[in-house]
Amino acid sequence: MKVSLTFIMLLIISTSICDTISQLFLKTSINSLNASITSIKKIFGFIIRLALIPKVWIGFIFSCLSLFIWLFVLSKADLNFAFSLDSMHYIFIALASSLILKEKVESKRWVGTILVVLGIILVTLSGS
Amino acid sequence: MHKGKLTLKILLILLATDFLETFTHFCFKKSALPESGFMISGFQDALIFIKSVASSGFLWLGLTSVLLTFIIWSTVLSKIDLSVAVPVCSFSYILVPLVSVILLHEKVSALRWAGISFILVGIILVSLSTKKDKTVIT
Repeated sequence: MKVSLTFIMLLIISTSICDTISQLFLKTSINSLNASITSIKKIFGFIIRLALIPKVWIGFIFSCLSLFIWLFVLSKADLNFAFSLDSMHYIFIALASSLILKEKVESKRWVGTILVVLGIILVTLSGS
Repeated sequence: MHKGKLTLKILLILLATDFLETFTHFCFKKSALPESGFMISGFQDALIFIKSVASSGFLWLGLTSVLLTFIIWSTVLSKIDLSVAVPVCSFSYILVPLVSVILLHEKVSALRWAGISFILVGIILVSLSTKKDKTVIT
């Protein structure tokens, strides 16, 4: 079975979306803990409390899903192409952060994010 | 609330996760590489593919590095916005070409240097956008 380019592109975009969803679950869980980590020792307690939140595990499932799709993509597509398209996930993260997490994504942050995406596309495509 | 500023310390920690992430991608590519000609046409084939990838030591090395990345990443996210942490982590797109230059003696084209500068300026802009939130740390 020959895998078409459109299918590969759809798969790459789905890994980006899965990744964004998993980050959203993780970040909302971390926000709900309201922890202040001041020493290395406190990290362990923080991670254990974090692991007890079901939402973190839902995020983990999405992360695994993203990983499996990504592994499949890597065995089919060119690494440079895959990474350049995957850079779209910076846009998804910025959108989700401002709409769902209510982070203040101001114009400076948007311009910076878009420059990063453009830069990644240039870096990855220049390698192919 | 911990909508903190992006300090040098956090920036360095993010850089460390980037190194780990670069390492992770390298491991995963290594584990999937022998299967590059593999055609998955059914559930049976998918199982064989997963079996083959899982038997590679690189996959497990990659997964360990994922766990470590998760611990560091969560700690960082408890201190700064997601919309800051994620773009700043794009340092790996600068690291990967640099590693290719140093270890693999690849040539860096003008286009690639342009891309690297775009990413750098982007990261600087995103970092600067956190400066105003100084006051909310309790």
